[in-house]
Amino acid sequence: MNLLFLTFLFPLVGFLILAFGRGRISENTAAVVGVGSLGLSFLSAIWVGSQFLLHPPAGGAYSQVLWTWMSVDSFHAPFALRLDGLSLTMMGVITGVGFFIHLFASWYMRGEEGYERFFSYMNLFVASMLFLVLADNLLFLYFGWEGVGLCSYLLIGFYYKDPANGYAARKSFVITRVGDTFMAIGLFLLFRELGTLNIQEILTLAPQHWQVGNATCELAAILLLLGAVGKSAQLPLQTWLPDAMAGPTPVSALIHAATMVTAGVYLIARTHTIFQLAPIALELVGVVGAVTLLIACFSALVQTDIKRILAYSTMSQIGYMFLALGVGAWSAAIFHLMMHAFFKALLFLAAGGVINACHHEQDIFKMGGLRKQLPVAYASFWIGGAALAALPLISAGFYSKDEILWEALASHHMWLLAAGVLGAFLTPIYTFRLIFVAFHGEAKLQAHRGQGVSYWLPLVVLMVLSTFIGALIHPPLANVLPASPGEAGGHGKETLALISGSLSIIGILIAAGLFLGERKLVTAIANTGPARLLRRWWFYAWGFDWLYRWLFEKPFLALVAINRRDLVDFTAGIIPAVARWSHDILSATENGRVRWYAASIAAGAIAVMAAMMLA
Amino acid sequence: MTLNEQQFIALLPILITGATTVVVMLAIAFARNHWWNATLTVAGLNLALASIILAARVAPQTVTPLLVIDGYSCFYMALILVITLACATLAHAYMEDFAGNREEIYLLLTLAASGAMVLVSSRHMASLFIGLELLSVPIYGMVAYTFRNHRSLEGGIKYMVLSAAASAFLLFGMALLYAHSGTLSFKGLSGQFHMAGLHSPLLVVGALMILIGLGFKLSFAPFHMWTPDVYEGAPAPVGAFLATASKTAVLAVLVRFLLEASAENELAMREAMGVIAFLSILVGNFLALTQTNIKRLLGYSSIAHLGYVLVAVVAANHLESEAVAMYLVTYIATTLGAFGVVALMSDAGRLHDADAIFNYRGLFWRRPYLTAVLTVMMLSLAGIPLTAGFIGKFYVIAAGVDAKLWWLLGALVVGSGVGLYYYLRVVVALYLPEPGMVQHDARLDWGQRAGGIMVLALAAVVLIVGIFPQPIIDLIRDAGITALHLS
Repeated sequence: MNLLFLTFLFPLVGFLILAFGRGRISENTAAVVGVGSLGLSFLSAIWVGSQFLLHPPAGGAYSQVLWTWMSVDSFHAPFALRLDGLSLTMMGVITGVGFFIHLFASWYMRGEEGYERFFSYMNLFVASMLFLVLADNLLFLYFGWEGVGLCSYLLIGFYYKDPANGYAARKSFVITRVGDTFMAIGLFLLFRELGTLNIQEILTLAPQHWQVGNATCELAAILLLLGAVGKSAQLPLQTWLPDAMAGPTPVSALIHAATMVTAGVYLIARTHTIFQLAPIALELVGVVGAVTLLIACFSALVQTDIKRILAYSTMSQIGYMFLALGVGAWSAAIFHLMMHAFFKALLFLAAGGVINACHHEQDIFKMGGLRKQLPVAYASFWIGGAALAALPLISAGFYSKDEILWEALASHHMWLLAAGVLGAFLTPIYTFRLIFVAFHGEAKLQAHRGQGVSYWLPLVVLMVLSTFIGALIHPPLANVLPASPGEAGGHGKETLALISGSLSIIGILIAAGLFLGERKLVTAIANTGPARLLRRWWFYAWGFDWLYRWLFEKPFLALVAINRRDLVDFTAGIIPAVARWSHDILSATENGRVRWYAASIAAGAIAVMAAMMLA
Repeated sequence: MTLNEQQFIALLPILITGATTVVVMLAIAFARNHWWNATLTVAGLNLALASIILAARVAPQTVTPLLVIDGYSCFYMALILVITLACATLAHAYMEDFAGNREEIYLLLTLAASGAMVLVSSRHMASLFIGLELLSVPIYGMVAYTFRNHRSLEGGIKYMVLSAAASAFLLFGMALLYAHSGTLSFKGLSGQFHMAGLHSPLLVVGALMILIGLGFKLSFAPFHMWTPDVYEGAPAPVGAFLATASKTAVLAVLVRFLLEASAENELAMREAMGVIAFLSILVGNFLALTQTNIKRLLGYSSIAHLGYVLVAVVAANHLESEAVAMYLVTYIATTLGAFGVVALMSDAGRLHDADAIFNYRGLFWRRPYLTAVLTVMMLSLAGIPLTAGFIGKFYVIAAGVDAKLWWLLGALVVGSGVGLYYYLRVVVALYLPEPGMVQHDARLDWGQRAGGIMVLALAAVVLIVGIFPQPIIDLIRDAGITALHLS
């Protein structure tokens, strides 16, 4: 297990090689370095993971102190990694799914300008993300947190020549920054109250320090939650995720589906003790998740861009994870996180294959009939879509989502359960709307099929993981996360599974009825007045962008207009003016005359002594 | 008085350095050869450095009432020897094209080094004074070494005249202390400070005069006026020595005096030092604000940096000597590096050193690695995290917070803010596109010369200490520097 540091060292070295070799290395070398570093990282993760599972360390966690930055007096800043069931699960997802996405990207990005730049950012992302999940200290976690934010910004704006992409990158950066700022305040608060940022110490100190429902604890939990919603694109900071689809598709698969956006879920699970002590904040987590999942479902129903549909589905699936956290089903949330990483990466990669095949066309209504031309992508979409729609028994998504719904029932959160069930009904409709529109019907364009092992291997592997086979993987979370309310089972579980399963099948059938064939019915409905209005409203994601423009942008710009002369700047300008003025006065004393210097020494000496004698 | 074997071993570093001076002098008399004489010097200094290991093994040893070789003096002697070695390599690169006699600078350098070593191991006012003069007199000569450049000559003479004035303070202070107590050893004075306390004006004035005399050498405000002129006039390698070895030795003896003679217990001393630190930080930083001459800028910055260290001394708590040592290590590495770049950019064959910031404009496009070194040094001087300067500053702030010196810490924060401005101004100039004509440049093969390798190594040290400071911290603790507090 002492090879743990290798997992993030390899991508970091890969990043350095690619960053410094820019313009000097060929595409093939860049691909070998970029994908190879991830492969090595994946191998070391497997090695470390197998060691961890075969010889479980004492206390269920292994910590590796890399070095102590400094230790002065009572201040210690050790730099340590911590591996337990939770970080092992995350590490497995990041390196495993990350490796296959890198492999796919080496095919997808072939011939693009900035090939090695792409891989350098991707490697840096993986390194930061591993740093985030392995850190034993909230400060280092925050380092990784900012690192992935930076990489996300760089990769969304990868095609920087189009200003719209730059805008999308800035938007995501600024909005997640809002969350990060709250999180930083939360960290300050925790440090002030508990005197440490070490995660394990916080988890042991918090219950001794605070009673359940303590106001400070609630505040800290809510601040952490705000950080989490920013990163995970949940209400109210969800607006950046659809725009983030401006980046290359493998980026959407890796960062905006499988790993980074689930960091918020990880953060809450990691600091679960604080949330257990803060019932209001915990309730809020569930509500945020439920509302986001519904909002995203409705928006996904009317989108036409293949990646935006997937983006909204990601948002809604993370909503499920938040819902699970909110009802205290920690393991279920992480389990769903893992399943979601598999099938959403699959869907995004397949979408990448489709987009590449269709000459960068992303509108599903302009595709049509791709089923014969792109069989692999079609199969991927079916399997991934089935998992997303939680098709009973055969799909991975069914097991994890059913778990969440059951926990909601077992903990008597009826409203959250209702939202979850409604979402379970809507998800298959929008998922299979995408599949039926893009792959069935008559062919509207000539697609060229992807080739090569780096194209189909990632898809096949992720396809396998998205079926019930993937659901056989059980993350070793028992030692890390507390038991959930519905763990023991109980009556009603089978009934609920039956209901949600049949809802999923009904959803698919409805989608088939509406979108297979001529689509007369759906067009007729869509063209009625209220439906048009609703469609527009949903298409623009319930108008949050508009709302924020009026709530924040406009008042801010108005303030700017009033303060054109910049009062703050004027006051700030006093400081350099004073500095300059002091400088001028003091400079006058440096006149180069020895007699003046000698006199100043004598005068200074007399002044010092007089002051001390008189005092 | 007889010298036993152990005392002899303890004295070896000083003896070898002194012997090196004699050998180099004879070698110069025998044959003037720049490379050969420089090599002899370096060999002698390395030998002295190695002998510190032996000396540390027998430490602590008291040699006559004047000198003591303990962990504290071993640590500072090692620092001084490393500085002298660095300056010797810089001088070799710098003096290559000098028209006059090039070799005597090594003589002066080793002489000054032995003075500094006496200073750090002295425990008596007599050896303090001898060491101080042995350190200072060769420096007058070195500052004025390139005497055809009138600034160099002017700087040397100014430094000499003003030093004499400061020495007068020092001697008068000693006389007052002696008049009151009848002893000049630090230990003997210690009893006096314990007994007399606030009530004896003779004692207080005497101690304050010692502080003033040493404060001049450390260029504390308000005794700082000479600093920029002398730094500007001194050839770059000499400037490096003046800014590092001289300050280190004098500060080390000041701290020893304060601790061993318990002069710290004297409230007036602490208050006076607090005022001096406060003034030094602000005056140094404000004076540097719009400075366009990089040597003067480093001079002003040294005023401020010595002010920062003094904060740790005023704190007078268990962190004091550790913080001072750590700050000095980081300050030495950084200042040597900065002066080293200036030295490599200049040579004595020209009338002026490359000391205008304008000379460095766009240097990045011509000498990227040298620019990287200077950038690291400037960032470290500014105290940016992950450089050595940050660690030093962290220590000082830790000591200050512990002693609750809020107004001094306030000055420190303001000073650091101002410092950021003028250090970064240099960095900005380094990367600005070239304005056409090239005036000064380092030789193309600078990196293969001893001085160049030394400067690159310093940059590595500054970064490594910034990222991974624990080994240095452990070294300082192992050297037994903190033991002074107990004695």
